[in-house]
Amino acid sequence: MPTAKDLQALSDREVVELAKAGKEAAYRELLRRYERPVFSLIYRMVRHRTLAEDLAQETFIKVLNALQTYRPEYKFSSWIFKIANNAAIDQLRRRELDTLSLDGAPDARTADEVAATALQVSDLAESPLEELESRETGSAIEQAIGRLRPEYRTCILLRHVEGRSYEEIAEVMDLPLGTVKTYIHRARLELREYLADLRT
Amino acid sequence: MDKQLDHSDLDALVLRELSSLPSLAPSRGFQDRVMARVSLPRPVPLVLLQRAGAWILQPHRAVALATAYATCVLVTVLLAAPWVSAHANFFTLAASWVVGQVGGWLDAAALAVASWGVRSGVVSALRAVAGTGPRLWATVVTVTIAYAGSGYGLHVLLKAPRRSDELAGTL
Repeated sequence: MPTAKDLQALSDREVVELAKAGKEAAYRELLRRYERPVFSLIYRMVRHRTLAEDLAQETFIKVLNALQTYRPEYKFSSWIFKIANNAAIDQLRRRELDTLSLDGAPDARTADEVAATALQVSDLAESPLEELESRETGSAIEQAIGRLRPEYRTCILLRHVEGRSYEEIAEVMDLPLGTVKTYIHRARLELREYLADLRT
Repeated sequence: MDKQLDHSDLDALVLRELSSLPSLAPSRGFQDRVMARVSLPRPVPLVLLQRAGAWILQPHRAVALATAYATCVLVTVLLAAPWVSAHANFFTLAASWVVGQVGGWLDAAALAVASWGVRSGVVSALRAVAGTGPRLWATVVTVTIAYAGSGYGLHVLLKAPRRSDELAGTL
């Protein structure tokens, strides 16, 4: 039975094979390897810690429970990033649909209706979690990334934060290689503009 | 800070800032929370056996299976009965042969045990104990108490709730 240290020396493919054979330590090794990259990607996409943690958890549960269906000709990292990215994109789409106005319902006509349908924000002070969030996502570059289109954000994060190849990003996002290169180029241009704006 | 950075400086800044972004970690216990909801693969025969057991042990299915088994036995007996009665002589002969054989083995075994008892002195020891009334009674009472005590101890042990049961009860 391989120890945790032995597992660290193995490739993803070998660890997956051990996990398929029912070794719990192999499952934990996959979690150890990918919990930070997956969480970082999702967190920087949805920019909400608790939500990101829930989505990362769902991603791992989905991946680890479907390990028997994993095909070794694909990279494990591509597979897990694809599921994580899809979860984040779905969440962003849902959030767009659920967006509520703090200033009252759009069909409110009178001042009373506006007041009655406006959301009440009871406490504007930051909770410890919110403080942590603003520390983690409050830097200029994090804010600039947050303003990018979701597809650009995924590309730039996978390329420059996770260090993935263009080919792997294309596989993760189901996009042609040329499109990925274009997205990354445009994302960099936009980041440059945002950062220049922040400095002026 | 120089506000008049040109494009190449800004490009370099973007790349530098991107590469310096830290890897963020989920909260403590993340792995355990995930693992609690992951089902590890088990050997196929074990899974099949457990599924079959669970399927059979459902009350209505267990009753149905028992009824089917009883019906099969009954039908077999009913179908076999005319043939058996038509060959009664053969069965009587066969049964008496089997009884004779088994009786012979039992006789031989009893004889062997008895001769071993006599040879080894067990019989004389028992006779000596039986000869002294109080010693015999003491032995019988001691053995009875020891037997009853063992039975009661076993009963208490089996009745005592296990720690996992206690925990399950609190949930």
